[in-house]
Amino acid sequence: MKINYRQLSVMIFFSFISLKFLVLPSVLYLHSGNMSWLVVLVLMILDGLFAISIIDLMKKNQDSNINEFMNNTIGPVLTKIFLAVLALKFFLQVANIVKGLEFFVVENFYNNFSWILYILPLIGLTSFMMYKGLRNIARVQEVFCWSIVIGCIYIGCKSFSGVDPLVYLPMFKDGAVPLFESGYRHLSWFGSSTFLLILFGKVDFQNPRKKLCIKYIIFAIILVQFIYFIFYGLFDITSPTHTFAISDISQFTSSKSIIDELSWLVVSLWVIMQSIQIALYGYCLVLSLMYLFHIKSKIVVITFVNILIFALSYLGAETINLEQIFFTPFASIVTIISQYIIPPILWIGYMVRHRRQNKISGVKNEKTKVNI
Amino acid sequence: MKVDAVKTLEEIKKILHESGDLKSRTVQFFGTQVAICYIAPIVDNILLNQTIMDPMLAYPFKAEDDILTTLKEYVLSNNEVSEYIDIDSAIEKLLSGHCLMLVDNADHILSCDIEKITVRPIAEPPTSVVIKGPREGFNESLKYNLALIRKRAKTNDLVVKTLEIGKMTKSQVAVVYFDSIVDKNNVKQIMRRLKNIQIDGLIDSHYLVSYLQKNPTSLFKQVGDTEKPDVLVAKMLEGRIGIIVDGSPIALTLPFILIEDLQNSDDYYSQPIRVTFIRILRLVGVILAVLLPGVYVALEKYHYKILPTEFLVTIMNTTQGIPFSPFIELLFVVLLFEILYEANLRMPQYFGMAMSIVGALVLGETAVNAGLVSPPAVMIVALSGITFYIIPSQAAQFSVLRLIALVIGAAVGLYGILLFCVFLISYLSSFDSYNSAYLAPTAPLIMQDQKDMFKREIIKKMYKRPKSISNNHDNVDRRGKDEN
Amino acid sequence: MKKLKSIFSPRKLIIWIFIIILIITVPEIARPAMSKTEAIVTMMCIDKDGEDIKVCTSVLTPASEKTANYEVYSGKGKTVGEAVENISLALGKSIGFAQCEIMGFGDNLSEEGIMSTLDFMTRTRRVGRNALLINFSGEVEKFAQAVVNMNIEKSLHLEDIMNFDQRYILSEDSNIHSFYKGYFSKISLGIMPKIKLETEDKGNSIEVQESATGGGSSNEPGSGSGGDSKKEYILNDGTACIFRNGEKILEITPDTMKKLNLFINESQEGTLTIDHVTDDLYDDASIILHVSKKDVSFTPKFDGEKPIYEISIDVTVLVEEVDEENPSLKFLKRNKEFLTPTLIEKTKQQVEKQAYEIIEYCKENKVDLIHVYEFFYRKQYKKFSEYYDKMQEKYLDNIDYKISVKVNSSY
Repeated sequence: MKINYRQLSVMIFFSFISLKFLVLPSVLYLHSGNMSWLVVLVLMILDGLFAISIIDLMKKNQDSNINEFMNNTIGPVLTKIFLAVLALKFFLQVANIVKGLEFFVVENFYNNFSWILYILPLIGLTSFMMYKGLRNIARVQEVFCWSIVIGCIYIGCKSFSGVDPLVYLPMFKDGAVPLFESGYRHLSWFGSSTFLLILFGKVDFQNPRKKLCIKYIIFAIILVQFIYFIFYGLFDITSPTHTFAISDISQFTSSKSIIDELSWLVVSLWVIMQSIQIALYGYCLVLSLMYLFHIKSKIVVITFVNILIFALSYLGAETINLEQIFFTPFASIVTIISQYIIPPILWIGYMVRHRRQNKISGVKNEKTKVNI
Repeated sequence: MKVDAVKTLEEIKKILHESGDLKSRTVQFFGTQVAICYIAPIVDNILLNQTIMDPMLAYPFKAEDDILTTLKEYVLSNNEVSEYIDIDSAIEKLLSGHCLMLVDNADHILSCDIEKITVRPIAEPPTSVVIKGPREGFNESLKYNLALIRKRAKTNDLVVKTLEIGKMTKSQVAVVYFDSIVDKNNVKQIMRRLKNIQIDGLIDSHYLVSYLQKNPTSLFKQVGDTEKPDVLVAKMLEGRIGIIVDGSPIALTLPFILIEDLQNSDDYYSQPIRVTFIRILRLVGVILAVLLPGVYVALEKYHYKILPTEFLVTIMNTTQGIPFSPFIELLFVVLLFEILYEANLRMPQYFGMAMSIVGALVLGETAVNAGLVSPPAVMIVALSGITFYIIPSQAAQFSVLRLIALVIGAAVGLYGILLFCVFLISYLSSFDSYNSAYLAPTAPLIMQDQKDMFKREIIKKMYKRPKSISNNHDNVDRRGKDEN
Repeated sequence: MKKLKSIFSPRKLIIWIFIIILIITVPEIARPAMSKTEAIVTMMCIDKDGEDIKVCTSVLTPASEKTANYEVYSGKGKTVGEAVENISLALGKSIGFAQCEIMGFGDNLSEEGIMSTLDFMTRTRRVGRNALLINFSGEVEKFAQAVVNMNIEKSLHLEDIMNFDQRYILSEDSNIHSFYKGYFSKISLGIMPKIKLETEDKGNSIEVQESATGGGSSNEPGSGSGGDSKKEYILNDGTACIFRNGEKILEITPDTMKKLNLFINESQEGTLTIDHVTDDLYDDASIILHVSKKDVSFTPKFDGEKPIYEISIDVTVLVEEVDEENPSLKFLKRNKEFLTPTLIEKTKQQVEKQAYEIIEYCKENKVDLIHVYEFFYRKQYKKFSEYYDKMQEKYLDNIDYKISVKVNSSY
């Protein structure tokens, strides 16, 4: 079941904004200060460029899935390695959202909330969506897409009057080096276009509206920048104390009124979006594991992924501080390989193979001419 | 084989177990014995006399050598006279209101159609009343129903395919569509499914639903239905296929998408801006109907901090002293509402008013005064209950979903309800009704069809057939031009 | 195997998960509403009581009428956490601070430092960042009771009063968010309005019944008519307190506060009194001008090594009252022409004078209330850093302040 080009664009849009509005703005400020927006902008543009290049490659190989494509272009050994890295990246992404969402839900909605009550319904939902497949996830995203966009814009506009543009000065106070360091440190929040690799052969490119994907990517970047502008403009030096950007912006108001309570609706939409993203990355993880270990039964892999998520949630609740994992060089390296190394290698592999095929077909043509 | 009038008549009587309503008469026609038999309650006596008996008895000329040919070609004035060799086919006709003529020494049995059609007059269906627009509704006669469709579609493009379903009932089923508009694959698929039905009786068109639906156990209906010929023709013009069953006033339509239930035939006969507003209201109504009690319980149980202080004060003041937990309280009111609704529906009409008074005033008021339930709980359930009937065709589904949302709201709170919403959308997205996405034109998003989604564009601008419905995509222009 | 497969089919798996969730949540389902198991606090006042900390909370309680009912409960402990826990023990409910809209700090605690209390409230107790902060005088329990009585008797809410003040008259903008912002800035400065509890009427105060106070951990409100009960007065005269590093260092008088408001864009309204205006229109008149709009901008500059701080104040005023010995009929209408050149000139001088007074006040007390550090840091980062390294705390003293005032008239 293939998804259409518009659905792919919506998927990219969701993927670009999903990890950006919860924990990232506050943790980023600790390392890159008032220039955090620049770090996000640069990394998102990079993600966008890679997304466009992967889509181009997908257009050229519409019939084969990623496993077949990689096997044909770069050989089975590299394929295995790359699939393992991709699986790791998707696992990190799932873990990041699962943990982020848990804190978000507990902080915003509950006083005492058992982790098991958080994780079981989530697993139920995401398993269903993973089982139903990519088209189902794409459709659900389409249903909620515009309400989430309108919600974000509403939140931003509501608090816009409190923004102090002065907080963005002085620029490059400590030079550009800390920004690079900060970007590297927070790479696991980026790599938003990696999931596209898994969608090889799953997108129907019939009658695509030109540049629709690019428009969605640009819109995502603008929306993220808008929310970051509001967030840092409002909270400035206290930004690191505001753990969840989207909910804290929505609650930024000096007096309470019924209309302000509408922000809860927007916060709720964010929960919806994050749960859909877990399903999407979970689905990518399932597929990469299936390709990696040649497992045919989807249910088996889904069950395995669910056990992983459950264990992750249990460990997060009981023993380990999982957030630290996302800051480690390990997480950044996985992102670098999956996002910035695999696509160029695939392109090179594709070009070499293409040239070789052209040569062979050229020779064949000559032979047939001689025969005639 | 030659027919012996008396013997064959006896045989027919035997096959029909000497049924009391089988009437027969033997007459001499130019020296040849002719036995006439029919099932009295289902034949028209006047037709019998006018088209069979009178012409036979008053035939002034000499008969030809072949009596059967004389009868068929010169005597009988009936418009449908057919011949049968085997007795079983003849009996089949006899049972559907034909009169059999058994002529001595003839090769065939003659049958004449003198069926008496007893029908309800064409009236406005109670389930889809319109303020402006046609008031005709289907009745239980297939013939009449087809007539109503033919009246609206005077084109050779209209195809009516009939088949018989039900070993005992032998109900006539008609599949109707416009040949140039419909997706032929869907027709094939539907015909195949209908032909494969193995059942003894087809009492109503809804018997077919589980055979036509891909997920028969699903809570959500995946086959559309209508009682109005104007609606059926409008749907057929969009590329849908209609299925009409003899004996049922409800026509089924396929493919079915969810948005159809948000639309109403009235929408197309009213002012577009008002319709747009009403459609948005319907959507809000759906959300309130399903989620309101669940959200209320969740807010009261887990998330009071979301509420503004003034609102919290009101809730605290009104719920003080209530002995039950919010969930039990709401469940009590919801069940009370469902019981009242069910009783009211089945009760004779003259009890209805008394029931409403007892239900709404006595039970509700007394429960609040006695401190068993709080006024907000009653209000919330009442509001949710009323909003069910903004879309009456989905009321049954909403009532189940409301209960589920209530349980989830009490168990997990707002987070659970949010996930429930995603699950619901995901579940609905997974249906495909005959190559049409169930949630189209929202998911997948089809811009062209947004003209008739929440917003209702003026008819003039809706000149393309919807892409959401799987139809013949080479004939999308309603003005008769090709897209190219 | 087939049986096993059918048990674990996807449809059934989901049903299984649903059933497990239901089983786990059965005890949750029957649980009463949280508003019944938690004491909902709408205001809390904290102060030192000897070595201990005393916390008084105004708790929302259900009433048979449609209006809100509040009761004051208090607790003592070595820390705020302990005091809150004691209230919780006394009430038999956990304490919910989500609806807490106002936090008051007594003088004693303010002088000692309020940061640990604020930290406790925002870290674990989840008080909203928009909760208002006030400083109060008087005994903590009496103050809390007086505010609650004001709610019940007069239907006046302290949070509404403070919000109104902040928007229109005295723009201190003192909620947890802005206090943190000030605290974490380089100059660690925060400002908080002061509400006084007086025993006698000082003019613009609100009268409430005094209620008898008990010493226990919980305390009933004085709802009954206590015969010859005394009266108390809640006074909001515009006094404010300045905090450095979370400790109260200074109290600003209402007069100084009014002058300070000239520098704050957000405080849109106020009055100016211009005395001895004499020209063609006025004869030694005292004129009260209503400030209807204000636009203040700050420009930090460096002239070589010398920092210059330009303040431009653009006020739009309206003649509101003319006090003359022989009042004329012509003054009894609204007219733009009443803003004569002499009056404009005098207004300019007055505003300038007030502005310089505030600058002097800031220099004298070493408090940067006019955002000098903020603007220089943002706009002249490098030069100012060098300058600040040299001057440290005395950075305000060596700056050249230039004030320009423009007076416009409004209808």
